[in-house]
Amino acid sequence: MPDETTGRGWGDDGCPAPLAEALRRPVDLGPAARARLADALAAEGTPGAPPHVRARRWLVRPARWALPPLATIAAAAGLVVCGALGGAWASRARTGASAPPTPPAVAAAAAEGDPRVVRFVLVAPGAAQVALVGDFNGWDAARTPMRPGGAPGMWTVELPVSAGRHVYAFVVDGTRWVADPAAPLAPEDGFGSRNSVLVVGAET
Amino acid sequence: MRGHVTRRAVTWFMVGRLMSDDELVRAALGGDPGAFTRLVDRHYDRCARYAYRMLGTREDAEDAVQETFLRAHRALARYEARDTFGAWVTRILVNQCRTLGARRARLARRFLRDDEAMERAEAPRWRAEEGTIPDDAVQRALDGLEPLLREAFILKHVEDMSYDQMEQATGAGRSALKMRVKRACDALRAALEVREHA
Repeated sequence: MPDETTGRGWGDDGCPAPLAEALRRPVDLGPAARARLADALAAEGTPGAPPHVRARRWLVRPARWALPPLATIAAAAGLVVCGALGGAWASRARTGASAPPTPPAVAAAAAEGDPRVVRFVLVAPGAAQVALVGDFNGWDAARTPMRPGGAPGMWTVELPVSAGRHVYAFVVDGTRWVADPAAPLAPEDGFGSRNSVLVVGAET
Repeated sequence: MRGHVTRRAVTWFMVGRLMSDDELVRAALGGDPGAFTRLVDRHYDRCARYAYRMLGTREDAEDAVQETFLRAHRALARYEARDTFGAWVTRILVNQCRTLGARRARLARRFLRDDEAMERAEAPRWRAEEGTIPDDAVQRALDGLEPLLREAFILKHVEDMSYDQMEQATGAGRSALKMRVKRACDALRAALEVREHA
């Protein structure tokens, strides 16, 4: 008489339920394992950056920051706001956008080719300070601090920017490098953080 | 000077709400120091389970999982969102386990071949009507499988993947994978079940 236990539940490529159950039990590698991985990751720095250039970020080293309460965080909502509009910008996918971002645009200049005044806006509730950095100010967070106000969590600055393509970002609380979510991303610069692109047209 | 704003749009980058894996990847690349940690939190346990079942010891499993997440972290800029992050990590993990498994087998083979054979011969059998199988019996049975068979079996019956997902994870074709799962099942059945006839 064939053994009825053999073959039960196996089928062709199936697996008996008790075996599958046993196999699917979670496996605990121990809390120390998780902590060791966390340490190893912390030593790696920003993901994706080549090791020899990560050191450049000493100026703005991303600190391990505790997440403030949900009500105040919002994090970065950036916006380049100005007068006449530019062309349509392809925008990357947004997280939780309540309205589509405005294409960056610049005020008309008195004469063609003159620098235009560009207003930069970042919404970052809970930030103690915000600075604008870009190729137009030498990426120096000390040169273009933004001022709070206008709306809760809103930071603003205007400055003249010459015609042409520019790359910029915001620095929040001296440590957090934030691209402008409302603007196109610049190609990766190899340093790990992402920047945004602004084009100031010579014509409107 | 035409300096007035006609439309104002504000996009809110909601860190607190539940972000998708792809959103966390973007945040991590953007410099958010906690984002990658949150990705790891989501995928660590299932990676640990796969690695343990594949490699047989917690130490080796930890090594494989740690190396997997470190590699994912370094290569994050190359992750393309047409993948899913989970599938991408699984692929890295499958390869890590293959490498570690091969290395361990080379080291162990010289010393343990006879011991392993003896141990397997004496292993207690499980009867299907007995209910829960003890963990050591399960793992011993798995350890006895050839690596590719074990891999296919774990992906199918532990990680509950479809053959499509398994193709992605291993690079092997569907029919090869089905054959491996079937052979694994045959071998496990033989290892685990009592035969009434000699």
